Amino acid sequence: MAIKDAPTVDTIDFDEAEAYNPDRPISSLIRTQLLHLHHAEYLSKIPAKERTNININTLHTEGQASEYIQQVTALLHKYGKKSKPARKKASGKKPAGKSKASSVARA
Amino acid sequence: MSQGLDNLKHIVVLMMENRSFDHMLGGLTQKNAKINGLQGNESNPDGNGDPVQVSPTADYRGQLNHDPDHHFPGVDVQIYGGAAFAPGRTTTMDGFVKSYGTQSPNVDDSHAIMKYFAPQNIPVLTTLATEYAVFNGWFSSIPGPTICNRAFAHYGTSFGNVDMNLFLVSAADKAKIPTIYQRLAAGGHSAKLYYYDQPSSTMEIVNLITDQSFFGVFSDFVADCKSGNLPDYSFVEPNYSDHPAPDGTRLLATDQHPDHHVLAGDNFIGKVYDCIRINPKLWQSTVLLIVYDEHGGLYDHVAPPDCQKDGFKAPESATGVPGLTFEFDRLGIRVPAVLVSPYIARGTVVPGKGEANGRIFEHASIPATVSKHFLGKDEGTVREQNAETFLDLLGDNLRPDNDCVFFPKAMKG
Repeated sequence: MAIKDAPTVDTIDFDEAEAYNPDRPISSLIRTQLLHLHHAEYLSKIPAKERTNININTLHTEGQASEYIQQVTALLHKYGKKSKPARKKASGKKPAGKSKASSVARA
Repeated sequence: MSQGLDNLKHIVVLMMENRSFDHMLGGLTQKNAKINGLQGNESNPDGNGDPVQVSPTADYRGQLNHDPDHHFPGVDVQIYGGAAFAPGRTTTMDGFVKSYGTQSPNVDDSHAIMKYFAPQNIPVLTTLATEYAVFNGWFSSIPGPTICNRAFAHYGTSFGNVDMNLFLVSAADKAKIPTIYQRLAAGGHSAKLYYYDQPSSTMEIVNLITDQSFFGVFSDFVADCKSGNLPDYSFVEPNYSDHPAPDGTRLLATDQHPDHHVLAGDNFIGKVYDCIRINPKLWQSTVLLIVYDEHGGLYDHVAPPDCQKDGFKAPESATGVPGLTFEFDRLGIRVPAVLVSPYIARGTVVPGKGEANGRIFEHASIPATVSKHFLGKDEGTVREQNAETFLDLLGDNLRPDNDCVFFPKAMKG
């Protein structure tokens, strides 16, 4: 048995070139993402001289927004905090006995 | 413990954007009466008072040029029909057209909110829903927008927020509620949030600031599936915008947020599924949940149920509804949710609100389930402790390869 034995279902083709529209006005969701990233530029440890200094109010299309989002995301990765990687357990099964996980404060 | 649960090593969650259950899956009732979708005669009054009936004529794009309102006051209108707040208000689910009418240039345009997809027009989602398990009762966590709803998937709470604000930095620190990723890491487990690429980035900006070690991109997910190095828990975000790839090729938004092309998202769901499906060891040890963050202002006929208060309160100034201080004691509108594993029997329908043995799920069910499985704990926020978990749907019988579908064209996309 292998994937070649699997019953197949076709996805529907569509005209991607026609659908592609980086000039589409940004939605409130992407506007929110821009605002969050703008705050993040200042909340994070990105040096002032490396901040984009882009006025996000001048960004109106998905294409424009994605360029800004890319720049700030890259900066956040460069200067963001990182925790130590988790010790990988042998399997994903439940640990025996009491977990070492810190309990979660009640809301 | 079932054989499927015993073999389970990976939980993957794909969270899409802004579509209601009835809009995406409501048409499946005609194929399987157990699925609590649409009978075809449901309606909402329009601005002229004329009934607007549901119709299977949703298009992939172009019908929802104005992003339907899904902020707290708008959803309040959708659920209560515009009735002013008063204790004990009746949920009518008849304010969707009225709400969209306030955004539409004419009454006819407001009717689009009642359209739903014919099942054959979104073959990946509807195939997975019928081949594996579909939830009749998975609700968004808050009758509100994206960010606060997604927070319930990551934290099990929105820290009292019902809006889109970047609120989690100070509130999370203050309340000391870690993300599910942090909890897993503390327990020695691996977890990763895969956003699509840097131009799309993540909706979890605060985590990118506070701890970026949990992040990857979708090409990492594809590679990790192929190599068998998928973390214990993965959360996948779709592409949120149309933008060029580094090589100049076109990348379409795959989140299905109106008015992004719905087929691009359907094909993306297929690709996520195929990445897991094509690796035999991974396929047998992974469960995939496909779920939407909230309904996006689109019609659903099931009234959101009451729920356990979450301990926070959103004041009237935050809800935007005169007189209403929200105590997080009601869920948001129902969303599509599909659970995939070769240990799930074909055609499983998880009963929901008002049905025999009905179960109510919400986004807090995600961290609750992940915690329970990997950490062996039922702890978490108040909402997590009261949330249904879903791994009991995995049974003892491993369905053979020739019984589990594959989407060959999705892998090429």
